[in-house]
Parts: sequence; structure tokens; C-alpha cells
Amino acid sequence: MAAPAPSSLIDLFVTRATDAAARVERIPRSPADVRAAIARATEGARTLVIASGEFVPADVFVAARSLPGVIARPSDDQLATADAGVTEAFAGVARTGSICIAMGPPLRAAASLLMPLHVALLPAERIVFRPRELFELQGIGEEAVRRNLVFVTGPSATADMGPLVRGVHGPHRLHILVLE
Amino acid sequence: MASAGTSPNSYDTPRAVANKSDKRTLARAIRMALGIESVAVRRNTQNFNRNRYLVAAEVDDYNALKDEARAIKERSISDLPYLVRTLEGAVRARGGQFYLAATAADACRYILGVCQAHNAKLVVKGKSITSEEIRLNHTLEGAGIEVAESDLAEFILQVADEQPSHGVAPALHYTTERIAALFKRKFSTDAKLETGEELTKFARERLREKFLHADVGITGANIIAAETGTIMLVESEGNIRMTCLLPPVHVAIAGVEKVIPSRQEIGPFIELLALSATGQRLSSYTSIISPPLDDPPFALSGRPQKRREFHLVLIDNGRMKMRQDPVLQETLYCIRCSACMNSCANFQTVGGHAFGGETYSGGIGGAWEAGTGQLENARFSDLCTGCSRCVPNCPVRIDIPWLNEVLRDRLNRASAGSPLASLLGLASMVRGDDRRASAQKIFFANYHWYAGWGARAAGFSNRMARSPLVRRAMQALVGVDSRRALPPFPARTLVRAAREAGAHARAASSPGRAAKAVLFADVYTNYGPAERGLATLKVLRALGADLVVSDAVPEGRAALSQGMIATARKHARRAASLLSPYIEEGRDVIVVEPSALAMFHRDNDHVLVGTERFELLRTHTFEPVEYAVRLIAKSGRTARDVFDVERSPVGRRLFYHSHCQQKTLGCAAPTEALLREIGFDVATSSVECCGMAGSFGYKKEYYDLSMAVAADLFAQVQATEEPAAGGPRALLASGTSCTEQLQAGLGRPVLHPIELLAAILKV
Repeated sequence: MAAPAPSSLIDLFVTRATDAAARVERIPRSPADVRAAIARATEGARTLVIASGEFVPADVFVAARSLPGVIARPSDDQLATADAGVTEAFAGVARTGSICIAMGPPLRAAASLLMPLHVALLPAERIVFRPRELFELQGIGEEAVRRNLVFVTGPSATADMGPLVRGVHGPHRLHILVLE
Repeated sequence: MASAGTSPNSYDTPRAVANKSDKRTLARAIRMALGIESVAVRRNTQNFNRNRYLVAAEVDDYNALKDEARAIKERSISDLPYLVRTLEGAVRARGGQFYLAATAADACRYILGVCQAHNAKLVVKGKSITSEEIRLNHTLEGAGIEVAESDLAEFILQVADEQPSHGVAPALHYTTERIAALFKRKFSTDAKLETGEELTKFARERLREKFLHADVGITGANIIAAETGTIMLVESEGNIRMTCLLPPVHVAIAGVEKVIPSRQEIGPFIELLALSATGQRLSSYTSIISPPLDDPPFALSGRPQKRREFHLVLIDNGRMKMRQDPVLQETLYCIRCSACMNSCANFQTVGGHAFGGETYSGGIGGAWEAGTGQLENARFSDLCTGCSRCVPNCPVRIDIPWLNEVLRDRLNRASAGSPLASLLGLASMVRGDDRRASAQKIFFANYHWYAGWGARAAGFSNRMARSPLVRRAMQALVGVDSRRALPPFPARTLVRAAREAGAHARAASSPGRAAKAVLFADVYTNYGPAERGLATLKVLRALGADLVVSDAVPEGRAALSQGMIATARKHARRAASLLSPYIEEGRDVIVVEPSALAMFHRDNDHVLVGTERFELLRTHTFEPVEYAVRLIAKSGRTARDVFDVERSPVGRRLFYHSHCQQKTLGCAAPTEALLREIGFDVATSSVECCGMAGSFGYKKEYYDLSMAVAADLFAQVQATEEPAAGGPRALLASGTSCTEQLQAGLGRPVLHPIELLAAILKV
């Protein structure tokens, strides 16, 4: 399979991320649309942690921070018990349906790991074809080469207890909002 | 050490049979695994195996990725001392600590020191098979530190006190029911523990507390980039991310072979490792981090806020010596993906508690055990039959059967030998040191010699082979299981039958023929189902080939499979001398038995090092049906012009089992395609190997295992013969020993495809 055109790259990403048991939505990137999508995705979550952003426009995060249940400056005790975490993803990988989270900025590692629900905002133009492209020194890879990062492919899972169980130590649900 | 009782319900514990440096322990381990663990092992390994094939087929540059990964590993192991120094500098420059441990004990001492410096009471651990190698938990727990294994598989093993049975899923020998029983026995809890979900929730809740309160986190590392001190960590549960992120101190331990030059070179390994390991496009989490992390460590209220600390502990423990070993060096390319285990029919049937040692399992496991411990610990690698199915599935192209053949050779040479073995060795002209091998190995390595004698009076020999007394003697002396029917010697060997029809052969040899070839009289066909060779003559001659028959000589595969490399080399040279003149006069070589063909195509690469004869043989040897397909294509005809399905003596419905080595060589597909083109309804087996694997299934130690492996094949045949699926099928197989196995299990005749083709020729 050769690298597809950008529009079908998004389609492939959506298909493969869905295969990996992530929930994927394509939404417009206006602050109001994103805020509404986060509200829908986190419905039922009493407490919510939002990590800071770099690759998604700042006003999107500003709008989302006024959602009910958002803890502005969570303590570690609050992080350990929050219901949902919201982070951006700095890249997506179409062939594997993965998102890439760059660690470092406050809360991003914790908000993508400790809560039962992880909501990730992924700008559509930051989807590459293969994981390897994030190790090339140009384009989006330039960012990846410098950072601590994690490829996230679906929610945490195990087959150690026999059948496939989704939701182990990490998030039980992964909800990706692709910003178009 | 506990021994197996006489009751059929009493089995050894996995720990009791972990060290298989003596052969009897291996037998007990096989018995335990077949009795208790086989169901779960089969299901889980075959699931991984199926998924790997599916995902690999999606990756269009799979082969290029493997080449790239192999090249990076070759370069890295070659530059290892330099890379380790570079890595040390990079880790220190980032504020981390670096320690290169010469031995397992050094590594344990250092890590214990780190824990004690922090007054650690609780250590949380991610999965690290290397930590099992160095028995780290034993050291830490001995010093009063609680170790919480957070990978659910390791958690199960810790509760059960068992060694890993697989590289990637170390508790895959457990069914849900057995885990539930184990947890109920070991934990006093009212929790409902029956389903996978309930068991996962139970373990998760216990472990979440451990993550939040741990003083030190210990992980392994899948790959380490020297220039930046970057480590890659692959997992699906999220426990490794937590182990790195939450406690203030992170210790990563890894074998020194994990180091590659730079972060950019991690790229090819990401997809390759995930697909090779679990058959996933990617596992849930692949972290690529250069610790110490910037995020502050986690501190629940009441606990002090600490500074982050990172230690990278690289472990030599024999690896630098392996690097100097011309054969074991290959082991260091291993990225611990376990594809060799998942694609291995024997492993799929017993798992790593039988096909494995104290730490490492499967095809590559023997080399790891020998390299990081004693040669004798690799004795379990006798379960590698050399079927070669792991070879195309290894992401770094390690020829694992060759490693095991060399280990077997070294074990043979290290053993005391026996008077009987010496006698047999002398009689069959085995090379000097190879005479230290067991009488059983010498017998099977020199099958041609015994068969040559047996075939001189075939009627008498065949009667003898059915005599219970003779069979009891054979079982006692050379370990041939008396439950096995022996393949009968033919009334006329292939060579004799062809000579008697000599005039006919010469008549066919006229100028202007479509092709010139020689049929290599491999010893399995010559002294066994010679009719396959005669059918080959008939079909290829009908297709216009000028075809003659060579003498019958061993090609070396039998000796190689017993780890008698000097003898194998002698045989290989003899076959090469026999065949080279034919090739020089413009003839191709046709080889009926796939394992003999594999010797010419693959194994000679090691056995006939540095000679031109290998390349000559490799490029001029062909499987008979593959060659027939070429001749048909060359003549511009179609298969239906040459063959008529209506003439089939066995009907149109076939079940075809191709030989393991034939699959690896890529010459199974032409047979399947041709049969379908002719108009047959062909069902095929999807098993990796029939379990007979040449001599393996004849050996008394392995008969039960061999039959257990074959159960999958028999079940596949039966499934395609259900009334709803259309009823009975005629059985076809390309391998001599596969044929024996199918006949033993199903009690029906088995044809070679070329025999069927000979029967349906239009001319």
C-alpha cells in the first residue's frame, strides 16, 4: 500500500483507529465546535482534567476550560481520581490508527494515562502515513525527534486473563476528535 | 526436585522442570505441558500467529523493513563497545545514571543499592524478561523490599511462582479458569472472579494502589538509542507508562544488545516489533522517551515531593562473549518479538515451560540460555525440528534452526558418548567428534546407511520392521518409538527401477528437448516411496524434459538435523560433487523430498561456506511440480492441455498438506495453483508443520508431542470432509515424513501431487 493522498489519509486514519477500538469523530475546529464535542465525549464524567496545548489553537483550549467539572489546577490526588483527561495529539498515524502525544508540558502525560477516559484533539493535517515518518528530520517528524512521546493506539488492553479485555491500567476508552 | 508421580493426574510444577540440562527433565516437562498447559498455549500462540500473517500482509514494505532492521542490528552489534560509551555519555549528560553490569549479580547489587539509597519499601515493575534472567525479584525481596509486578501476565506468574512460558505473553499458558482458581486460592477475597473482565479489574485495583505509592519503578527497554539515551518501551496495558511516570526513581534494565546508534533508527522497529510480536498494527502504547522525564514525579498528599532520578542498567552477563562467537552472535540481533515461538508447531503445542529454560523460550531461547548461562541449559532446543517456519517470520532474519543445529552439535561434542554410539558411528563412517552424539542421533543422521542395507533385502527387512521383538530392540537401542509404523522399503529402489528402464531413459534423451534435468535420488524417496520418483520421471518426460536419475547419496539434511555438522558437511560435499557435473552439462536438478531441497537452498549456505558449489546448487535445484509448471508455461500450453481431471483415480476433491520447508522455500504455492487450474477442488492445511518433521516424530521421547502437534492437521482434514463441506477428500502431501504422519493419524493412503499428475496425463 503506497502513501495515500491527504484526504484518504484521514479516512484511513479513522478506519484504523476505529479498528483499534478508539471512538473517532471528525469535527470543525472552531472553539465552539470543539467545546461541544468535548462536552459530548465526556458526558457523565464528574471531573475533567485538560492539559495545555501547543499544536491546537489556544482559543480552542480556552473555550473548553469553562466546561463544568474541569479542574483548573489539579493536585496529584485529584489526578489520581479524575474521570476524564483531555489532551492534544501532535500527530496521527494513518496506517496504524495511532495518535502521538508529546510529553513534557504540564499534565499531558497524566491526562492521557491516569483517567478512565482519554479525549484527544488531533489536527487533521498532522496525520502521517507510517510511524517511521515521525523519525524523519523534516515536517512533523522534526517535532518528534526532540520530544518524549508516546504512540497511543486504542485504549489500554490485555489478553493476559484469557479473552481480550479493554481497559487495564491506562484509559478504558479513547475518544479522538479529528479537527478539520 | 519433585518428580512426576505414577498417577496420571500428578504433574511436575513448571519451576521443577525449568532447568532441562538433563534429558529426563525435558521429558517430564513435555508431559506436564501436554497435560496442563497445551490448551491455552495452542489458542494464544495460534492467535498471535494468524494475526501476524494478516498484519504483515498489509505492510507492503515488510521485507524492506526486515532488511533495514537487520542492517541496523548488524551495525549496532559490530559497533557495540563504541555505542555503549556513547550511550553512557548521553545518559549522564541528561542527568541520569549509567551502569554496565558484567554479571547478573552485579546488576542485582546495583539496583538493590539504588532502592536502599531511597529507603524503598515498594518497587513497581513493568515486564522485563531480562529481570527474570538476573533473578532481580529474588534479590530485592530477599532484602525485604516488596516487588509489585504490574504487567498482568507477570502478576499471574508472581502469584503462581512460575517462570515465563513465552517472551511477549509470559503467562499465555493460563486459561481464564486456571487464573480464577489460582487467585481464589492465593487471595482471600469476596470479589467475583470468573471472567477476564473480573480478573482484570481485581488485579487493576490492587496494582493502582501500588503505582501511587511505589518508591521506585523498574522497567525493561525494547530498544535504546545511544546518541540521545532514548528508550523505546512497548506495552498494551499502560503499566509501563505508569511505572516511568509516577514513582520518583526510574530504573531501566536491558541487555547490552538493545543499543542502536540513533533515535531515527528506531523508526523501522516500531511497526516491525508490534506486528511480529502480537500481530497488531501497533500495541496500545509505544513510548519513546529520553529519561529522566520533565514531568514532576507523582506525590499524593502526605508524601514528599521528590526530584526525578533515572538509572540505566545495561547487562552483559555473557553477551559480549556471544558477540565474539561466530554463530551465537546472531542471537544478539533478536528483538525479543517471539514470532519464532508463535510460528513453531512444537511451541504452539507445549509452550515455553517445555520448549524453554529457566528464562528464555522457543526457537531462539536455547541460544539465549546458552549465551547467558550454561550450554547444557539449551538442551530443550532439541524441540526445534529445523522445520524452518520461523525463518521467514523473524523480523531480523536470524536463521534460528541453524543456531539450534550448532547448539546441538556443541552438546553432542560435550557429551560422554557411548560404546554403542561409537560402534554405530564407526560402521556408518561418521566423522570423529560426531561419534560422541547419542546412538539415536547417529542412527537418524545416517538413515541412508541403514536404509541402504535394509533395501537390499526389502521383503526380509519389511518383515523384520513389523516384528515386535525387533521394534522393542530398536526402541531400546536407538530410540525409535515402537508405536510408529516404519516406512516400508520398496521392492525396487528408485535408482534400480530407473536403471532397469535404462533404455527408455536413454531414448528420451534426444537433442532439442524442452529441458535437460537430473532427478536427484534423495535417500528418503529412493529407499522409501520410490514411486514418487518414477512419477516424476513420467510427468517431466511427458512435458518434454530429457531426464536422467542420479545415484542415491545423502545430501546432509539428516545429519544436520541431529547436530552432526561435520558429518553433514561430508554428506553435502558428496552430493555437491555428484550433482555439479550434471549442472555443468546444462542439467537442472529435480528434488522430490522437500527437506533435501531445503538443504540445497538454505542449509548449504552454512554447511558449505565459501564454496561456489552452494550457489550453483541453489540456483539449479527445483521441486518437481514447480518444475512441471515451468515446463508447461515454457511450452505455451495450459495445465488443462496436459492434464485431464476426469482421469483422476481419486476424484476431484483433494486435501493438500504442503511440507514445512517447502512453504519456507516458497514452492508450495505452485502445486496448489496447478491443481486448481487443472480443475481440482483443493483444501489446504494451514498448520506450520505436521509434527513428524523428519526423524522427530519417530523418536521415543517425542512421539506423544509429535502426535499432539498433528492433532491440528487431522482436525483440519476432518473439518473439510464434513458432509456439509462436501464429504471425503483424497489426501496429498509433498513430504515423506508428512505422508507417514497423515497415514498414521488418518489410516488412509496419501499421494504425492506428482503421482496424481502422472495418473492424469493426457498423453
